[in-house]
Amino acid sequence: MKRIVTLVSLIAVLALLLAACAPAAPANRLESVKKAGKLVVGTSPDYPPFESKDASGNFVGFDVELMNEVAKRMGVTVEWTDMPFDSLVAAVQTGKLDASISAFNYDEERAKQVDFTTAYYTAKDGFLVADTFTGTISKPEDIAQYKVGAQSGTVQADWIDATLVQPGLLPSENFLQYERVDQAALDVKAGRIDVLMGDNIPLASLAQSLGGLKIAFEDTVASGEFMVILPKNEPALQEELNKAIQALLDEGYVDQLAQKWFK
Amino acid sequence: MDNPILNIVEVAKIYAGNEVLKSISLQVKEGDTVVLIGPSGTGKSTLLRCINLLTRIDRGHIYLDGNEITAPGVNENHVRQNIGMVFQDFLLFNHLNALDNVMTAPIRVKKMSAKEAREKAMYELERVGLKDKAGNYPGQLSGGQKQRVAIARALAMDPRIMLFDEPTSALDPELIGEVLEVMRKLALEGMTMVCVTHEMGFARQVATNIVFMEKGLIVEQGSPDKMFNHPEYPRTREFLWKITELYGNEKEAGKGA
Amino acid sequence: MSEYIPFILGGIGITIGVTLIALPMGFVVGLLLALVRIYGPPWAKAIVGVYSTVMRGIPPIVLLFLLYFLMSGAINLSPFMAGSLALGIISSAYQLEILRGAFLSVSSGQMMAARAMGMTYIQAIRHILLPQALRLAIPPWSNEVANLIKDSSLVYALGVPEILRRSQNVSAATNQFFVAFIFAALVYFILVFVSNRVLDWVEQKTRIPAF
Repeated sequence: MKRIVTLVSLIAVLALLLAACAPAAPANRLESVKKAGKLVVGTSPDYPPFESKDASGNFVGFDVELMNEVAKRMGVTVEWTDMPFDSLVAAVQTGKLDASISAFNYDEERAKQVDFTTAYYTAKDGFLVADTFTGTISKPEDIAQYKVGAQSGTVQADWIDATLVQPGLLPSENFLQYERVDQAALDVKAGRIDVLMGDNIPLASLAQSLGGLKIAFEDTVASGEFMVILPKNEPALQEELNKAIQALLDEGYVDQLAQKWFK
Repeated sequence: MDNPILNIVEVAKIYAGNEVLKSISLQVKEGDTVVLIGPSGTGKSTLLRCINLLTRIDRGHIYLDGNEITAPGVNENHVRQNIGMVFQDFLLFNHLNALDNVMTAPIRVKKMSAKEAREKAMYELERVGLKDKAGNYPGQLSGGQKQRVAIARALAMDPRIMLFDEPTSALDPELIGEVLEVMRKLALEGMTMVCVTHEMGFARQVATNIVFMEKGLIVEQGSPDKMFNHPEYPRTREFLWKITELYGNEKEAGKGA
Repeated sequence: MSEYIPFILGGIGITIGVTLIALPMGFVVGLLLALVRIYGPPWAKAIVGVYSTVMRGIPPIVLLFLLYFLMSGAINLSPFMAGSLALGIISSAYQLEILRGAFLSVSSGQMMAARAMGMTYIQAIRHILLPQALRLAIPPWSNEVANLIKDSSLVYALGVPEILRRSQNVSAATNQFFVAFIFAALVYFILVFVSNRVLDWVEQKTRIPAF
């Protein structure tokens, strides 16, 4: 009797969940954004110089300033939401956020869940090592002989998994994933991992502020173009965002911003 | 016998395939003091719990003041307001002092006002000789005092009949007397009582009717004189002889602290 | 780093807010379910049993995600509410077990004596069993309060800027990893310490004399 009740209640819960998962019929999101006068944007402010928080709790960084300007061009303001990086995609997919900017690369898996805007910046991958590192990295695949780390959910993590771990070049126990990139950098310093693969600019920034670290190698591997993500099936919103981003690129605004933040 | 206060007719109770009560028929007149005796496990306590409907009977009928309380649809909680019960383990409400213990049922069940209930409670506590212990908690009372509070608690509901389930079996010998004295007074005041006990002195002195039960049946019943001096059945004689020897011929209710 | 301290402390309001929603909710639901589990019909007991097993068996963060992300089609909750409700549901499962244990510790004779006086089950539970059970429940309950305060940090995953998340922000911005997190740990410690002291005081005040 007890097992039957268990089974029935599990099925009931499952049915309820599936019903609840049906996405709400998309209204024109751009319309509601314009009406509300604000764009709800999520980011994970633990990635300076792209996004971080200052002492007063304000969102600051390259991505933050860029998005604020994009919104201005659209005639609205940004309502910033702080979320762990891993949660951002889900939040955009379920419509909790209008958009998210957080140094996202294009990724096929992500593209199944969310849409992308035009690229606003192009980055390279950096390979961070301790100053005392004695090995050689002349091409990305060289890292397979060391202990490697990356931030979970990033394109670098995917690349390492697909290109090195799956084919057996890098044993999976030598690949560690971290919730945040500063944690990973500390582990490089501590010697728990030898190489950290990530976007070159934040890694350089970390190397500078933590000390005892350096960029051993740079190349365009997994990283590349950064884009803003938005919920699927919102063509009007996508067009508006693209228009604004393109305008900023054409005016040289983005270059100025890069100068300011990426010295 | 017309209009007995309590009429038990062919009651049977089965626990896990075991016939604890096979067929019990018993009548109790108003003012009677019935003492149930017999070996342990013969269903005496079970019978008491059947009377106040804490246990459901499997066969038979029980009538209180002519009304069948075992009929379907009877409000059992209502019936229990008229039947007082005193337990071997006292079962006082641990989180309440003596006065609150006695007051709580009149207030909660009979919806008495707090003032009325307090007066009633103090009256009953005085009746059992514990007026000055009203503010004490169960943990601060001796066994005999606890049982007397339990009696006061049952009396506060003005029951038609009082049931005592081995009320002194858990007490130190010195404390038994004070409880038996209260019970004796109650009997003299005319309370109808059914007691399960081994206290033969009490039975001899106070009982109007002694009922000997064994293996779920009533073997014999009668006045104390008959049961002690010329019982019909050898088994009765045997049991009473043994238990009198155990507890002493001369032990009487009222003696002792 | 020190200029960030007010920022981190600002998260206390959220931690307290989440706890103040989840804890009472867990108590009310937990008490009802505990009573069903003890006094209810067999089918109801079974359902409550499943509920207890499931809610104590899944990682709390999973339930938070389910309520917030997965159910966004049917119910639209703010991250704060979704987090608080999820934690309230999970707490109700733990509190149900605490209260059930407490009730069972109260001797069955208490119920029998209460009913012998004509009280209904509900009257007996309310006036006789509950006062005793609640007192017995205080020690394990203060454990649950501590757990809830610490678990409240999980709402960070939904984007609620409570203490832990703020510490993460600060650590990323200043690279003073240890200082930021040790400070967060200190704040949580103080919250738990204070709540434990309060409950100790409550236990003293409600102690039954000579029991």
